[in-house]
Amino acid sequence: MIALILASCSKTPIREVGPPPVNPPAYDSVHYTNGVFIINEGNYSRINASITFIDGKTDSVRQDIFKTANNRELGDVAQSMKILGNKGFIVVNNSNRIEVVSISDFKTIATISGFSSPRYLEFVDSTKAYVTNMMKNISVIDLKTMTVTKNISTPYWTESLLHYKQYMFVTCIGSFTETSSSNRKAQVYVIDTHSDSIIDSIPTGKEPIGITVDRKDKVWVLCTGGYDFFEAPTLKRIDPDLRVVEKSLTFPSQQKVPSRLCINPTGDTLYYIYDGVFQMPASATTLPGSALIPSNGHLFYGLAIHPQTARIYVTDAVDYVQNGYAFECSSVNGQFIHTYVAGRIPGSFCFTSSTKK
Amino acid sequence: MEVKANLLPDNSGFKKVKYDSLILLPYKDADLSTVLSQISTVFVKSYSPGSLATPSFRGTPSNHTQVEWNGINLSSPMLGQIDLTLIPVSQFEEIEVLYGASSLTRTTGAFGGVINLVTKPDWNNRIFTSLSQTIASFDNYTTNLNVVAGTGSFQSSTKVNFNSAVNDFPYYNDYTGEHVTQHDASGVQYGFSEEAFAKIRDKHLLTGRVWYSYDDRDIPPTVSLTPTNYVQKQLDKTLRSILDYKYVEKDWNIFFRTALINQFMNYRNDSMKLDEDHYSSSWINSLRFTYTRIKNLTIKPGLDYTYDHAKSDAYTGIKTRNTIGAYAEVSYIFSGHFKSQLILREDYLESKFMPFVPALGLEYKPFIKINLFLTANANRNYGYPTLDDLYWNVWGNPDLKPEYDKAFETGINYNYPSKNGNFFIESSVTGYYSWMTDMIEWSPIPGNSSIWKPQNIQEVLARGMELSLNLKLKISKLTITSSNSYSYCRSTYQQATSAMDQSVGKQLMYVPENMFNGTLSMNFFNFNVGYNFSFVDKRYTSSDNQYFMPGYSLSNIILGKAFIMKHFVLSLQVKINNVFNVDYQSVENWPMPGRNYALNIRFECKK
Repeated sequence: MIALILASCSKTPIREVGPPPVNPPAYDSVHYTNGVFIINEGNYSRINASITFIDGKTDSVRQDIFKTANNRELGDVAQSMKILGNKGFIVVNNSNRIEVVSISDFKTIATISGFSSPRYLEFVDSTKAYVTNMMKNISVIDLKTMTVTKNISTPYWTESLLHYKQYMFVTCIGSFTETSSSNRKAQVYVIDTHSDSIIDSIPTGKEPIGITVDRKDKVWVLCTGGYDFFEAPTLKRIDPDLRVVEKSLTFPSQQKVPSRLCINPTGDTLYYIYDGVFQMPASATTLPGSALIPSNGHLFYGLAIHPQTARIYVTDAVDYVQNGYAFECSSVNGQFIHTYVAGRIPGSFCFTSSTKK
Repeated sequence: MEVKANLLPDNSGFKKVKYDSLILLPYKDADLSTVLSQISTVFVKSYSPGSLATPSFRGTPSNHTQVEWNGINLSSPMLGQIDLTLIPVSQFEEIEVLYGASSLTRTTGAFGGVINLVTKPDWNNRIFTSLSQTIASFDNYTTNLNVVAGTGSFQSSTKVNFNSAVNDFPYYNDYTGEHVTQHDASGVQYGFSEEAFAKIRDKHLLTGRVWYSYDDRDIPPTVSLTPTNYVQKQLDKTLRSILDYKYVEKDWNIFFRTALINQFMNYRNDSMKLDEDHYSSSWINSLRFTYTRIKNLTIKPGLDYTYDHAKSDAYTGIKTRNTIGAYAEVSYIFSGHFKSQLILREDYLESKFMPFVPALGLEYKPFIKINLFLTANANRNYGYPTLDDLYWNVWGNPDLKPEYDKAFETGINYNYPSKNGNFFIESSVTGYYSWMTDMIEWSPIPGNSSIWKPQNIQEVLARGMELSLNLKLKISKLTITSSNSYSYCRSTYQQATSAMDQSVGKQLMYVPENMFNGTLSMNFFNFNVGYNFSFVDKRYTSSDNQYFMPGYSLSNIILGKAFIMKHFVLSLQVKINNVFNVDYQSVENWPMPGRNYALNIRFECKK
C-alpha cells in the first residue's frame, strides 16, 4: 500500500496514452514531399485525429506525423486535407480550425479559425479558397494572410466543392438542425468566384454528398437519399453550363447508402462506395450491378483514386474505435496490392504530387 | 460495540456483501458513486463530479449491473442503467451487493450483479431526529434531515435531502497547456421520502414507502482544444412508491408487493437544437410464498408481474412491455457442514417464453466450530434488450435477441470473532468465470456508416478474482478498523466483428484489470481519523488495446469528533479528498477536481 501511495505522488500522464511510434525516423530525414496522406478523423470530442503518411518511394508508413512534427494534438475530427504548392491545409471539423503545414516537414505555418464546423476546402486560385461548413455559410479564406476574410451567406450545411471555369459548384445538404431528411433542402449552389456570391442553384436528390466532373465536362453528383433512407439514392449528371440535371440513375432501394464519389485521372471512370467499391464508366447508362471490390467483412469508409497511378485507395474503419487500415487496390480487377495500418477512423486521402482533387 | 460480518458467508454458495450504516456514516452527504468507488469492488466510471457515473462489475457492461431500492429496480426500462450520482446515500441505511449468480434471487439479466439499497425499521426506536449540513469546495452544499418516530408496532421514517453545487474546480487542460476552471457544471438536487412500517401481533407486517427525487443539472463540456459555449442540461424527476404486505405463520409466510416507479427525464442541447422528453412508468408486482414445514428444507415459490410503459420524443409511439416471471427457490441443509440452494426462473415476455434460468449454490463448512466456508455456484442467465435498444427512432433494432451468460464461481470465506469482542477478522477469496454470448454492441450497419444499430454480435469472456480482508481491533478505548478489497478482472472480446478486427482476446474498453481500495480508521474517545486509498488500473480506450487511459490512485482523509450527551450527539467532520492533488481522469477528456475539502456538522437527538 505504501508503494502505491508513493507511486501516486509522481507525475503520470492523465491523457490517453497511445502506442510508441515504430522506428521513429531521425528528424531531419523526414520529408513528406512524395507519398500519400491518410487523414484519420478520430473519435468525435476525443481530440484524437491524426495523419498517417505512406512514403511514395519506400512504401513505409509513419503514424501521427502532425503530432510528431508539432508536439501537439491535431484536433477533434480531421475531415479533409488539400495541398497547394508546398502547403498542406487540414480541415479539423470539430475544432473549428484549419491547420496549415509545410509539406516538407509537416510543421505548422498557420492556424485559421472562424468557421462553423468546417468540412472541405477548395482553392479558387493561389490567393483564395472556399471552405464549406455544417452549420452555416461558406467561408472565404485569404491565402496570403491565412484568415477568413468573408462569408458567403447560407443557413445550410454545405459539403463538397468543385471548381469549374469561373464558378464553384457547392453541394448543399440542407439545415443541420433538421434531423429528418424530408425537411432538408437539397441543391447544388453555383458560386461566382469573382464576386464570391451565389448566383444560381440546381435542385438535387436528398443529401448530395459528392460532386465531380468528367472529361466531357459533365458534373456528377452523388445523392444518398438521406441518411434515414428517406428516398432511394441517386447519381445525377448535370450539365454545368445549362445548369440542369440531364440524367438520374437510381440505386436499388436497399438499406444502404452510397458515399465518396471519385473520378480517375483521365476523367472517364467514376468510383463510389456502396458497401463494396463500385466502378462505373462515365459513359454508362446504368449503374453497375456488382462491386469491383466486394466488402467481404470490411467496413469501407474512405475512398480516393491516385492521380498518377489511377489505383484505388480505400480505408476500412473496422469498428470506429480501434486503428483502421488503408488498402491500395488495382483499378483493373480490384485486387488488393498493399495493406497499410492507419489511425482511428481513416476517412480521406491526400496525394502529394497533385493539387487537384 | 457489536461487530457484524461484512461478508455474509451464510448464503448457501452465493456471494453477498453488506455495508451497514456504520460503514456508510462518513458518506451520508455523498452520492452512491463515491461510496462504491471508495469501498467496493464495483468499478465506477465517473464522467464528472455530480454528473453521470455508471457501475460495472465482473467485467460486464453497465446495463448488467442492476441498482435496486428495497428490491425494486431503479433503472428505467428505456436506458437499462442508472446514474449513480442521482442516488444520495442519506436516503437509505444499508447497501447489499449481490455478485453474479446471487443476483438471481432478485432478477434476471444482471450478469455482473445487483446493488440493493436497503431501508429498514428499528422497532426499538421511539423518536430520532438528525440534521446535517455539509459545506464543501466549489460551492457544494448538502443538507439532510431525518425524522424517525414510532412505537414497538409502528414506525415512520421521513428523510429530506438537498444538494446544490457549482463544481467550478480548476484543472489543467493539457491540450492547450492552460490552467482553466470548469464551467457549466452546476446542479441542484433534492429528495423526499416517507416510509411507514406497521407490525400487528408479529403476524402481519405492512410497509409503505414513497420516494421523490428531483435533479436539475448542467452537463459540462469536455476538455477540448477550442472553447465551447454550448448549453447542455438534464432534468430528472422520479417518484417511487412501494406497498408491501407480509403474513407470517409458524411454518410458512406469504409476501405480497406492489410498486410504481414513474420517471421523467428531459435532455436539452441548445447547439444541436435538441429538447427531448422521456417518460417511463413501471408497475412491479411480486408474490412470494415461503414454506419451512419440512425440516432442513425451505421452499419459496413466487410470481412476478411487471408492466413497463415508455413515452419518448425519440420513439415513434408509446412502447409497453409485459413481463410475467415464475420463481422458485429451494434451500436444503444436508448437514451441519453442507448446504445448498437452487434458484429457478422462467420469464414470459413479448409473447415468448424466455430461456430457462437455473442457478445452483453449494456451501461446505468443514469444521463446525470454525467459520470457514467453501462455496461454489453455477448458473445460466439471459438479459433482455432495453427499450432504447429496440425502439429508438431510426437507430433502434426491434429484431434484437436476448443476451446469454453461463457462469461459474467458487470461493473461500473465513471469519473469526474473538470471545471478548476485541478482535475480529474476516477474509474472502472468490474466483469466477463468465461466458457471455449474443452480447449487444452498437455498430454501423453494413453499407451505411452514418447509422449505427445495436446488434447481437459480440461475445465476452470475463474471468477474475476478488479478495477482501477486514479487521477490527479494540484496545481499551481505541478501536482500529481496516477494510481492504482487491479485484482482478480479465474481460475480453471473443468475436471478430469485421475482417480486420484486432480486438479478439483484448480487454474490454473501460474495464480495469486491477482495482484496489482500502480504508484504515481509528476511533479514540470519539475522535475518529480515517484514511481511504483507492487504485484503479489503466483502462483501454480502443478495442485493440492500442490506446489507454493511465491508472491512478487517490487518497482521502477524514477527521471527526463526536460530542455525545444523554440524548444528543453533535458531530463535526472534516474531509480532505484527493489529498495528494492527483491530476486524473476516469473517462477520457472529462476533467476531475484536484484536492478538495468538505466540512460537515451533524446534530442528532434520540429519545
